[in-house]
Amino acid sequence: MAECKGGGDRSPSSSMDSSTHPVLSTTSSGCRPARRDLSIDLHLGLSLSSASSLLAPDSKSIPSKPRNQVPLDWPPIKPFLKRTLTASARRRRTLFVKVYMEGVPIGRKLDLLLLDGYDSLLAKLCHMFKTSITYADVMEYHRRVPHEKAAYVLTYEDQDGDWMMVGDVPWEYVSSLPDKREETEDCKNG
Amino acid sequence: MTYFPEEVVEHIFSFLPSHSDRNTVSLVCKVWFPKLRVLTVKGKPHFADFNLVPPDWGGYAAPWIEAAARGCVGLEELRMKRMVVSDEGLELLARSFPRFKALVLISCEGFSTEGLADIASHCKFLRELDLQENDVEDRGPRWLSCFPDSCTSLVSLNFACIKGEVDSASLERLVAKSPNLRSLRLNRAVSVDTLSKILMHTPNLEDLGTGNLTDEFQTESYLRLTNALEKCKMLKSLSGFWDASPVCVPFIYPLCHQLTGLNLSYTPTLDYSDLTRMISRCVKLQRLWVLDCISDKGLQVVASSCKDLQELRVFPSDFYVAGYSAVTEEGLVAISSGCPKLSSLLYFCHQMTNDALITIAKNCPNFIRFRLCILEPRKPDAMTNQPLDEGFGAIVRECKGLRRLSISGLLTDKVFMYIGKYAKHLEMLSIAFAGDSDDGMMHVLNGCKNLRKLEIRDSPFGDGALLGNVAKYETMRSLWMSSCNVTLKGCEILASKMPMLNVEIMNELDGSSEMEENPGDFSKVEKLYVYRTTAGARGDAPNFVKIL
Repeated sequence: MAECKGGGDRSPSSSMDSSTHPVLSTTSSGCRPARRDLSIDLHLGLSLSSASSLLAPDSKSIPSKPRNQVPLDWPPIKPFLKRTLTASARRRRTLFVKVYMEGVPIGRKLDLLLLDGYDSLLAKLCHMFKTSITYADVMEYHRRVPHEKAAYVLTYEDQDGDWMMVGDVPWEYVSSLPDKREETEDCKNG
Repeated sequence: MTYFPEEVVEHIFSFLPSHSDRNTVSLVCKVWFPKLRVLTVKGKPHFADFNLVPPDWGGYAAPWIEAAARGCVGLEELRMKRMVVSDEGLELLARSFPRFKALVLISCEGFSTEGLADIASHCKFLRELDLQENDVEDRGPRWLSCFPDSCTSLVSLNFACIKGEVDSASLERLVAKSPNLRSLRLNRAVSVDTLSKILMHTPNLEDLGTGNLTDEFQTESYLRLTNALEKCKMLKSLSGFWDASPVCVPFIYPLCHQLTGLNLSYTPTLDYSDLTRMISRCVKLQRLWVLDCISDKGLQVVASSCKDLQELRVFPSDFYVAGYSAVTEEGLVAISSGCPKLSSLLYFCHQMTNDALITIAKNCPNFIRFRLCILEPRKPDAMTNQPLDEGFGAIVRECKGLRRLSISGLLTDKVFMYIGKYAKHLEMLSIAFAGDSDDGMMHVLNGCKNLRKLEIRDSPFGDGALLGNVAKYETMRSLWMSSCNVTLKGCEILASKMPMLNVEIMNELDGSSEMEENPGDFSKVEKLYVYRTTAGARGDAPNFVKIL
């Protein structure tokens, strides 16, 4: 199971306290309950990690590879086929996500696979929504440089239905997820 | 060494019933070696296909080519699989054998298109150049124009795995002067227009691998292609379809009724409806390789259309979403009920049930090769959550001619009890993430009388199993165990008991420092490969391989 304890560096006194920042749900059911606890257990909620959880008794699980990579030796298909399908996949895949700005019911859509990292995601969104936006790594920066201001914080809803700060999951992993929804959130910087 | 007159030796060998045994004998018989015409060599273990064998492990072709160049200049055919071949080796090959006719390289690496240029230039009587799924470095398209004008003997040319550009004019010239061409497999650089031109020269073509079939081309190009294909009355087997657009599918229709073989496994761009529109017309199909995009529904169409189906392979198309596939046990049950002649199966799916396997076994008792890969390791029966022991048990019980088996999903020692009890003709068994204890492996070693190759990964078999029937390994081609529970001590004991085996261990995690072992070391061995030898330890092992 891919897990990490997040939020250790972010004290409750920072602008991260989500109880002051209601999140506008993309469903019709209205606002989701605010998250209070910032020490986050990040469950990637992917089929890959659920495969790992089945293998939990054996720490070797899927052969030891960094968590943000597809295992090189599973499934057992020949390298030529794997290379061919990967190349085709890169050429043809799209991963459109919906992005909403809080308070605005009509959202935008963008293809994550056309971007090469969180920086370009942010640049694209800032351009689309004509505002400045921050995410996880940038929050760190703002905490250390308190006079900088950012209007919005970028979050997303993962497969478990939890709202998470964008930026902690390595980009390569993100761009391999089948489905994600994104949303922005208000943020008041202290 | 006692000398027998040749007539006596030949008389003795005439009792060998199988030609594969006679072939093997001819390699070690010094009297016969100079007369060798066909040489087949396989290098790395099968699990090298899945990145389990580290690079530089071995399997070098050069010593074989050099020995042949010295000792049997009448060599006409060389077939190599999972070996490391260099351009220098190919050059030596091209220059050393004046009657050389056929080169077949499967899953090899280490050479470039320049090596192919030497083969083309110097092998005047070349009939067959068959490159299957090799990793070839691209150094330009020159090689294809190296065939001299006098070379008109080509029967089979397969360069589907060549990555780079190909010179169309050279290709057309080559095909035009090869009237005996029966099998032609192009790479993805060859356009539809070039393909159409080529096909005007190949009325006897039986097997075709297309170039790319994208939708960048005009309809006229595809119409020309259909006209050209219609001239190939003997065409029975089709593959390639690189980047195939759904638009191209109808242009293949005129061919479908005569096809016995169809390989669409490189085409993730065609979905279930494109695939079924094509396959439902292929009523004579015997061999189908396809991606799981076909889905269970598509497999039902295959089952109702392709009554002569003997071999089916369904590959996973999207492995970034681990564990997911569009095919399940339902597709396979449909196939088994519609295609009773099915004898060879490779099936990747995301779930399976015991009931399905039992049904499949009853429907298709003729399986010779049954390889099932459930994408999520240790996944139980999707309906009952039980292990899949009973399902695979039914397969080995009903399919009395089973020679090759790969198992997956949640499996206990019980499945191995069934395999040992019933799979009497089993020659090759592949195990991943299965079993509970040494008993599992022991059932197999003790019960499977014809076992030749056993490969195991990520399963809890240890020294007890490894050492439980050591004489067995002398009757087998090889044993592979990786990420199991065997220890260095166990391997040392095996090596000391069986001097005619090479016991190779690979611990690559820390590199060579791990190899400074202490006798009696109970540290686990990461990878173990055991095989028979008449020549002792090999001299070309890299430093992460230790031969005990």
